[in-house]
Amino acid sequence: MPTDQQIFDKICELLKPYNVKNKPILRTSGIMSDLEVDSTAVFDLIMELEDHYDISIPMEVISDVKTVGELVNAIQELLES
Amino acid sequence: MSGTGGTNVEAATGLSIFSKYEPLKQRVDVVKKIGIDPFEMAFDDIMGPTRGRIGNREIILAGTNNYLGLTYDPAAREAAKDAIDRHGTGTTGSRIANGTYAEHEKLERDLAAHLGKPSCIVFTTGYVTNLAAMAGLAGPNDVIFIDADAHACIIDGTRLAGTTTVRFRHNNPADLDKRLARQKIPEGGHALVVIEGLYSMFGDVAPIDEFVEVAHKHGAYLYVDEAHSYGVFGPTGAGIAEEQGVLDKIDFYSGTFSKSLASVGGFCASRHPEFELLRKVMRPYMFTASAAPSNICAAQAALEAIKSRPELRTNIMARAAQLHAGLAEMGFDLCAPASPVIAVRRPNEAQAAMEWNWLLNEGVYVNLAVPPGTPESSSLLRISVSAAHTEDDVSSILSRFKALKDNSAEIMNEMMRRIAASA
Repeated sequence: MPTDQQIFDKICELLKPYNVKNKPILRTSGIMSDLEVDSTAVFDLIMELEDHYDISIPMEVISDVKTVGELVNAIQELLES
Repeated sequence: MSGTGGTNVEAATGLSIFSKYEPLKQRVDVVKKIGIDPFEMAFDDIMGPTRGRIGNREIILAGTNNYLGLTYDPAAREAAKDAIDRHGTGTTGSRIANGTYAEHEKLERDLAAHLGKPSCIVFTTGYVTNLAAMAGLAGPNDVIFIDADAHACIIDGTRLAGTTTVRFRHNNPADLDKRLARQKIPEGGHALVVIEGLYSMFGDVAPIDEFVEVAHKHGAYLYVDEAHSYGVFGPTGAGIAEEQGVLDKIDFYSGTFSKSLASVGGFCASRHPEFELLRKVMRPYMFTASAAPSNICAAQAALEAIKSRPELRTNIMARAAQLHAGLAEMGFDLCAPASPVIAVRRPNEAQAAMEWNWLLNEGVYVNLAVPPGTPESSSLLRISVSAAHTEDDVSSILSRFKALKDNSAEIMNEMMRRIAASA
């Protein structure tokens, strides 16, 4: 089971190509509002995370996620379930 | 951004109910500095399936999804006029009240027969069709799987269904296979896979035959939206599923009247007779006015043309091939092989908006398509070809694109000048 920090690091790594303005990625960073990742790219990022962790992250889960930290928590909960 | 309502909250925070749209407003402002807003433009007149008018300027229409050009077909026009004379201008009621006429039922029977399905239901628009059918089919224990490039009405269908939804990589049956295997389906639930035949932004064709195999291997139902391909593909015009020889295996087949069927409305057919029961379940079917008789009768006439005039499909494919080859030869970045939808990828939204304006000024109307409504966050000049386009029409469109390319530096300078002038 990956640690909270490992999940955060993985998200940061996968976010890089979408973070075109190279803004610092914090747990409090809004994925769309601060990092300016558009909704299509967010779903592409999610598919990469699904494949990496071999989990299913339904779209309704994603609609509740606004920040990087919330995404870390969502993945952790899905891995534990 | 502030409104004029002057609520207490607005006074205290400086924010109005519109403030959340500030980023959108900034994008719209840039587009308006460049020229006409492509999403709010109006024609002064439409004279035929391939011609419009703005002021004194005649425009070649190359972005109307009027694939078979039947909106001006004499039989369709006559049928619509006759329906108004016999039944008036509107039904004033939903399908479950007074809004079902003999013509609605005849069209349902004839569409069902064309698709070889025992059931077909007609809706008021194509958008409503997917919204209603998907939300009616998927219950709380079911899981919907949608293609990554799904149209907004499919995404909204999943929202209205309110059930678990998983996205798979675009046009990738192997990726769907993996996700179907990964996802646990709750007890008593089923998987519903939703794809499109021809994707409306890039114009790429789905391997429906491979999706049939994967979906049915996992016991999933397959729902195919052929909004952009019904009437255009297949020996009898029954779409890409027919062309790929799997029409009989499609569980649910949806389409629209507002493209090849030359009208306004939509339909969903099924190989499961129990689909009829959904007439008493689907809220967007039950609680909206039914399609006007004139729309239904125009679609009926267009359906007869689809079945009896294969030359329409020959024409549109020939024009699509001509346009695609010409643009490719000029070195434009095209998003898919030749089909009636040809998308030209541009470097960014501002440049695409400027080029869209330039083309319109030169007498060609195409669609501007920008993120988030496009795959891969692309900015596109999207062209839809019609069977009513002549070889000369396509040559004219190509000549404008050639001039666009030849004058690109000048066009970009003009764009920068306009943005700077209004800053």
